[in-house]
Amino acid sequence: MSHLWELPLRLAFWLLVAPLVPGLINRIKAWVAGRRGPPVLQLYYDLARLWRKQVVKSPLASPGFILGPAVAWVAVVAAALLLPLGPAGSIAGFPGDALVLVYLLALARFATAWAAMEPGSAFEGMGVVREVSFAVLAEGSIIAALLALSAQAGSLRLDAMLAPMVGTGSALLAAGLFTVLLAENCRVPFDDPNTHLELTMIHEVMVLDHSGPPLAAILHGASVKLLLFSVLLVQAVLPVAGLPPWLAGAALLAGVLPVVVGIGLVESLLARLAFRRVPLLLTTAFLLCLFALLMAWKGGTA
Amino acid sequence: MIGALLLFATVALGLGALAGRWSSRPWLLLTLAATAALAAAGLAVGTGLAPDWDWRSAFTLGGQPLHLRLDGLSALFLVLLAGVGAAGTAYAFAYPIHTHSSDHGAPARGRFWWNGLLFHLGFVLVNANGLHFLIGWELFTVCAYFLIVLDRRKWAVRQAGWLYLAASHAGTVALFAFFALLASATGSWDLGPLRTRTELAPLFWLALFGFGLKAGLFPLHVWLPSAHANAPGHVSALLSGVAIKMGVYGLLRFSGWLPVPASAGWVVLGLGALGTFAGIVFALVQTDLKRLLAYCSVENIGIILIGLGAALLAPLTADGAWGRLALAGALLHTWNHGFAKALLFLGAGAVAHATGTREMTRLGGLWRGMPVTTLTFLVGAASMAGLPPLAGFAGEWLIYLGLFEAVVGHGPAGWAAGPAVMALALAGALALATFIKAGGLVFLGTPRSPAVAGARDPGGWMRGPLIALAVLVMLLGLVPFAAAPLLARAAGAWRPLAEGVTASAPPLATLARFHLLLAAVLLAGGVVLWRRTRAQGVTLGPTWDCGYAQPSRRMHYTAGGFSGTIGGWFTWFLRPARSLRRPHGPFPDRAFTREDPRETVLEDLVRPTGAGVLRISTAVRRLQHGRLQSYILYILIGVGALGLIVLFHGGRS
Repeated sequence: MSHLWELPLRLAFWLLVAPLVPGLINRIKAWVAGRRGPPVLQLYYDLARLWRKQVVKSPLASPGFILGPAVAWVAVVAAALLLPLGPAGSIAGFPGDALVLVYLLALARFATAWAAMEPGSAFEGMGVVREVSFAVLAEGSIIAALLALSAQAGSLRLDAMLAPMVGTGSALLAAGLFTVLLAENCRVPFDDPNTHLELTMIHEVMVLDHSGPPLAAILHGASVKLLLFSVLLVQAVLPVAGLPPWLAGAALLAGVLPVVVGIGLVESLLARLAFRRVPLLLTTAFLLCLFALLMAWKGGTA
Repeated sequence: MIGALLLFATVALGLGALAGRWSSRPWLLLTLAATAALAAAGLAVGTGLAPDWDWRSAFTLGGQPLHLRLDGLSALFLVLLAGVGAAGTAYAFAYPIHTHSSDHGAPARGRFWWNGLLFHLGFVLVNANGLHFLIGWELFTVCAYFLIVLDRRKWAVRQAGWLYLAASHAGTVALFAFFALLASATGSWDLGPLRTRTELAPLFWLALFGFGLKAGLFPLHVWLPSAHANAPGHVSALLSGVAIKMGVYGLLRFSGWLPVPASAGWVVLGLGALGTFAGIVFALVQTDLKRLLAYCSVENIGIILIGLGAALLAPLTADGAWGRLALAGALLHTWNHGFAKALLFLGAGAVAHATGTREMTRLGGLWRGMPVTTLTFLVGAASMAGLPPLAGFAGEWLIYLGLFEAVVGHGPAGWAAGPAVMALALAGALALATFIKAGGLVFLGTPRSPAVAGARDPGGWMRGPLIALAVLVMLLGLVPFAAAPLLARAAGAWRPLAEGVTASAPPLATLARFHLLLAAVLLAGGVVLWRRTRAQGVTLGPTWDCGYAQPSRRMHYTAGGFSGTIGGWFTWFLRPARSLRRPHGPFPDRAFTREDPRETVLEDLVRPTGAGVLRISTAVRRLQHGRLQSYILYILIGVGALGLIVLFHGGRS
């Protein structure tokens, strides 16, 4: 029964490594800007501090205000556990697990949005509207990308699907998925995680009223989601699954790091887009994934 | 055994309808007993405990001997009818229709027509004679009409009822032609498998129009939103949960029994994908809670038809297994949508009754006064948004699996399956936005009027059905494989070839294990965070609104504002009504901007077409004016024309 120790090990990987990613991105942004920047482990300190804090709750909010972040966190972590890790494969792979992963992320979005509607704030409503509107295009892109991988590999299981295609299709997919990663994780150019002006935010504005342990769950869940998308992107492009374990681990690391550096560089070098331009960029990502799908599908008949 | 159950249900419904004229309690008991009998009969046949039931009687009705049969497909829909019917009956018992109008006869009338509707829906489901099918179909349409206009003193209600009646009869005309042509081709009104008669295939298009109109298939859905929005809560629930599924039943039944044209699969799949996408976009921009739910039904009918279209398309390819998966998904989704949408309509009815309005922008903060309605609505909303671990996800997941496999097969069917996957994906995300809007604006935030602040949960007879349906939706999500035998029997009854649908039981069992695990972990996560929060202490403080000391209810998001972003992308086909008054002069007095959703298909497509037909008819009518001289002139011209024809073509016979 390898599962007995494999599950805690994977869980530990996702839970403990994830908060490192935002720290690394911040370090890269600080380096580009010539600042010293916060410590790499800053998010760990923040989480520990928030977990011990008191909660301030609006009298308008129902218990869903506390339970929403819990549901979102569990859904994101469950989605992460579904993702296969290189040659170690998937812990519970079954045909169609790719779609379960996408809909778990949707469940997380539903729970976050519901909790954000609780205090009845105009600004949080604004954040919810942006989140659920942009998600339409982002989710379409992810499913197109998964369908491309599925048509390429001839399987509906994630561990078999994440065998990358070669050439142009792979490049299209990488570009599309990277754009979706930026949008889904609320990074520049879609959103600015550093901003403190409510009018310009998406994700941050949805959690304005949260504090204490629920906020810790939200922040940690967001970091797990970022790592999840990075690992998914790397495995969709690099042939990690076929490598021997130590090499695969190195390849995964070597893949995730450029993604993280890429996010940091994008944030340092680009400005946030005007909101009316966002759908345009996301539609581009959607089209990239659709073209990858067409290539994978027509490639299979040849 | 089955016959006895159905006979008992018939008698109980009939006695209930009579008793309901005077008193509601015997009506309640008799009708609930009838639905229990229907459920028992449906479950017995559906699970295979009892063999398919086929009964021919010497008794004739309209010159045709009665022929009833209950097979797996009918059983699936019969169980849905029984479940939603029972919930609606209990709800109707307490629903105070007469408090909104001074019409004191309304409850008694409602009970009579309700039993009539239940009986005729069941009669259509077990019928195997074309003539009786048509009679039952017409009578259930009429019963539904009288239920829609129960609150008949309101103009909007009468208008909705009239539209429903007119549209339904356009569909019935197609069905009349369908059954009449079928009977003349086969020489008998008797219905049954006739798959070898390939010359009957073109009749499918008539069935698609007639049944599609009843189902609310996208461009034919024009009657649906206003009828479902204006009917009382339990009537909307039965209409949306079961009555529009009769269209799906008809399509399934006759695409299974009769041969279909080669292009049928493509057309059904394409219309399904179109309806899925357009339905949910229209749902998102609605401002009336029940209209939003009604348009969401248009979306879900689209999803079901995607599954059916894939099943029709699959035999064209070498490996048709994916069609069976999609069909199983469509059948499961029929149940899911039936129960969850009934739940949502009952909840919306409770809200409308407690607050006196269905406008989402006037509601808000109802969770405090109506906790049961809020929780059950949340369950239904999450299920309709297709979220695991609820019922809505299980069905959509099977359809996705089927479509993915069609694309993986690299066959020509991929050209249809790929776009359908995209439509499902976009519709899934849009449905999430729609139900965050409905739930968030209605139940969360500040109450936007004193009436809303004082709203309370309804009484026990209305709360019970809400809770029962919510539990059912959760159970269907957690143990979807429990429905697998029913799905397998239904698919087998659809076409014997599809019997291998049992192959879908293993994926459903896997999903069920995952759902159970997920539900347990979700519960655990919620408990942990809740306890931690309590342990750390909770301080109440006003909502942070960017520094405003006194956030007011006027600052909330409105229904129009919520869907503004996405609505803006689709203005070209939503075509909302806009009014704008800009501030003028140095002391501007009043300025506003307003955007209201319209019934675009009805107003911009159906009405102009109807007006065109009327104009042509009026022009032609000028020929008939009552002046004898002119008529004689017509005759002379006619005779002259005949003479000319004979003169010039006479020699050629």
